[in-house]
Amino acid sequence: MTARPDPLIHPITRLSICGLLAAGADWVEFAALRDAAGTSDSVLSKQSRVLEDAGYVEVRKGAVGRRPRTWFRLTAEGRQAVEGHLAWLAQLEEAVSASTRTAQQARPLPGDRDQPRRVPPPLLGSS
Amino acid sequence: MSDVARDPAALELLRTQRSRLADRMRPPWWHLPGVAILWALTFAYPFSSRFLPQGVRIWPILVVGVALACALQWGLARATGIKVGFRNLRYPPAGRPVRIAILVVGLAALVTETFLIGRGLLVAAIVVAALAVVAEVAGQQAALRGIRQELRGGGGAA
Repeated sequence: MTARPDPLIHPITRLSICGLLAAGADWVEFAALRDAAGTSDSVLSKQSRVLEDAGYVEVRKGAVGRRPRTWFRLTAEGRQAVEGHLAWLAQLEEAVSASTRTAQQARPLPGDRDQPRRVPPPLLGSS
Repeated sequence: MSDVARDPAALELLRTQRSRLADRMRPPWWHLPGVAILWALTFAYPFSSRFLPQGVRIWPILVVGVALACALQWGLARATGIKVGFRNLRYPPAGRPVRIAILVVGLAALVTETFLIGRGLLVAAIVVAALAVVAEVAGQQAALRGIRQELRGGGGAA
């Protein structure tokens, strides 16, 4: 698995949806996904449609009595993309925490103003 | 919509959300009694083959057992909103191989019951069956615990 960012999964709501679907369940129901992600019905509908159109998420609609039930699962392509994106995020988190540790170690003492400041590594979209 | 790369807590947020999802994987009140009835039917098989009156067939009981197993699985998915199908005997990977233990206990109990009934030790066979039902229900609880742990951990994804 290569750690690489995926612009489609990058927004936080889509990352939540994909990350939850990649957690180990085969299918997750709409309400369970909405509650776990902490989003509204409309946001989940909209973002899941984007992921479905991209071929990352498979949607199965059904009904129990009169109540509609929608189930989601990741496709193989979606799983690959999520795992790559999460690995990239983990690397990023590691780099940020490492630079924070270094910055804390290199923090100048009061009165020591001539020390150079350490700059954290550039992040995606912060050009 | 916020940009996750600027938010170092994105993975932490995802961990919290996974934890919330895992907490939903708690069986409703009827699930474990249902599992107990299912295993009781299974462990009643050695008795039925010997003590069932002539003319009463065993296959309707087997059909009821299979239907009950399917209903329990369907009901659990409906109640929790999470479907986790059967993958292999080593799933869930977290913790001990619970499903292998469930299978071994089940087979051992059936063999022991048959042996005890053959020797005329009916009470001992009933005790073995009851203990096996308790062990299988405990195994089912452990399997669900393993699934929750798996969901919380992200199922291998970072």
